[in-house]
Amino acid sequence: MLLALLALSAWAQEPAAPPPDLSPEVFAIARELRCPVCQGESAAESNSGVAVEMRRIIAEMLEEGKSKEEIKAFFVERYGEWILYAPPRRGVTLWVWVLPVLGLALLGLGLFAYFRPKKPLPPELLEEAECRLKEPPT
Amino acid sequence: MRGWLWILVVLALGGLFYWGMQRNPKELPSVLAKERRPAPDFTLPVLPPYRGEWGETFRLSDHLGQKPVVLNFWASWCYPACYEEAPVLEEAWRRYRDRALFLGVNTQDKEAEALRFGEQFGLTFPQVFDPRGRVGVDYGMYGVPETFFIDREGRVVARHAGAIDAATLEKYLKEVLP
Repeated sequence: MLLALLALSAWAQEPAAPPPDLSPEVFAIARELRCPVCQGESAAESNSGVAVEMRRIIAEMLEEGKSKEEIKAFFVERYGEWILYAPPRRGVTLWVWVLPVLGLALLGLGLFAYFRPKKPLPPELLEEAECRLKEPPT
Repeated sequence: MRGWLWILVVLALGGLFYWGMQRNPKELPSVLAKERRPAPDFTLPVLPPYRGEWGETFRLSDHLGQKPVVLNFWASWCYPACYEEAPVLEEAWRRYRDRALFLGVNTQDKEAEALRFGEQFGLTFPQVFDPRGRVGVDYGMYGVPETFFIDREGRVVARHAGAIDAATLEKYLKEVLP
């Protein structure tokens, strides 16, 4: 009885369109897309009109059976790659991904060169040095 | 030799920094205008005061290929930019109405407030109603106001973001007018 009541109330609260609570999948995709009118906010976080509409479009496209890649392509088609939160790993923006790794590798190389154990002196020099140490200072 | 290498590295980084600082982060690309893509079609309800002349709904493709189209996205809550440009658009429409079609797309707004805005500025060019803002997404719109210029072949030639002034409007109109 209680269950039936709960189900009924849930059904009664459901508005016609659009659904207020979108699936987590919608937000997962929206998180990878930029909100066009915001500064440093994704379409998942913002409550601006455009971002709300973007989430609605994502939900509709998911319902139509579109894949995540297809949905992202839909927005790239209209806004360009600017709309993607992560820059694509090709072309000019590939550098954004490669440079930090390259920098770290260079730093590692430099540190290694600086701290690597010094080569011991050749034996004849060592002998000479020992001799000189033993010699009483003149 | 090593000293020179360091100087080169510092200069290169400095150059990159300078280049980055010169770029305008507000300059946003319009894919449509850059590639001169055909204007995305839409069908939207016409706001009541304009129904007598333009019918219940407005389909963009019915009007493409005849005259250039000036497509203006606006909202009554967009203050002050939309309020600044409304008289400019109305004035230009009265001057160019034989040679170009102006169309206002009221975006993410309430109908009553949209009507009040139209009345306030005495807008006589057709106005359509898009409460969801779906058409804006198809045009890659960032935020109201934005104005798109569509040439006689139905291609998007230019996009202006923000309030448009008379001189800029004139300049873009010259580009699309025959």
